[in-house]
Amino acid sequence: MPDWREIVSKGLSGLKLGAAEKEEVRAELAEHLEETYEALLREGMSESAAIRRTLSLAEDWNDLRRKIHWARKGKETMTDRMKQLWLPGILAFALSTGMLVLIQTYGPKLWVASWRGVLPLGKLYIPWLLLLPFVGAMGAYLSHRAGGSRRLMLSSAVFPVLPFLASILLVPVNLMFGDFIGQNVGLMSLVMALLGWVLVPGAALLAGALPVLFFFSRQKDPQQIAF
Amino acid sequence: MIGTGIKRGTAELAILSVLEEGPLHGYEMARRIEEQTKGALRFTLAALYPMLYRMEQRGWIRGAWETSQSGRRKRCYRLTPAGKKKLSPLRKEWAELFGALKRLTKVAHA
Repeated sequence: MPDWREIVSKGLSGLKLGAAEKEEVRAELAEHLEETYEALLREGMSESAAIRRTLSLAEDWNDLRRKIHWARKGKETMTDRMKQLWLPGILAFALSTGMLVLIQTYGPKLWVASWRGVLPLGKLYIPWLLLLPFVGAMGAYLSHRAGGSRRLMLSSAVFPVLPFLASILLVPVNLMFGDFIGQNVGLMSLVMALLGWVLVPGAALLAGALPVLFFFSRQKDPQQIAF
Repeated sequence: MIGTGIKRGTAELAILSVLEEGPLHGYEMARRIEEQTKGALRFTLAALYPMLYRMEQRGWIRGAWETSQSGRRKRCYRLTPAGKKKLSPLRKEWAELFGALKRLTKVAHA
């Protein structure tokens, strides 16, 4: 029989409660898992199937740990959305912007991607693009750590390009309703901006986020927990 | 997808309702809810225990360690007078909500 207490202790490691309180929670949860497992065996389920089914009751230990912490402390210091999206997203944005500024100041000049060497398609900072997968991975990981869903993990990862997207989308609006910006902004410039500041960096951020997403999705599988 | 507020509300009602029948520990509570709702409501640990701890802090239920006949220690929860008082308006609120939704869907299908 699996050592349910050991499994719960491992899953809840890092739970910030007093020693006695933590022990009480561990004992209670381990008891619940043990009873579930025994009941499933009595129903005729095989041992491995019973273990899998029992562990499905605690598929996301991070989420469980966080919820127990809040419930026992009686307060939520930050809203879920703040921790799962805004904070990781803003951190990723700050990091990517900081790196961009450094590369613009000290790094090589930007590279102009062109079609057949004639039509410019986008202006790209190659060193920045090479660093963006790490930023995307960080955004996704921080969101996951705070219990974020896959959607929030991906949103946090691509967060750094969203301000660029917003400002590009605002250009046509400004052209229609005012003259805040130069009238010589053509469609080609918008496409170039979209490519160089949104699509390519977005793809680089996603390239970093997807392995994180894949890794933690696999880890959530109850079979992955060692007994 | 059902929103967090609705899920929390239904979970509170489910827990208070089964505890009205008598004191129960976590596993037994989850099992009864699953049985009585014919499997429609299934509590994971992340849904059940944080909810129990929160309800305990609000004073609706009270948990205490007890030793069963088999010698196992289990934390049993009981409904407090405040919990009993909460149950009735909660039932009424949900009955009203479901009644309204039922009427709405009937009108929509008419």
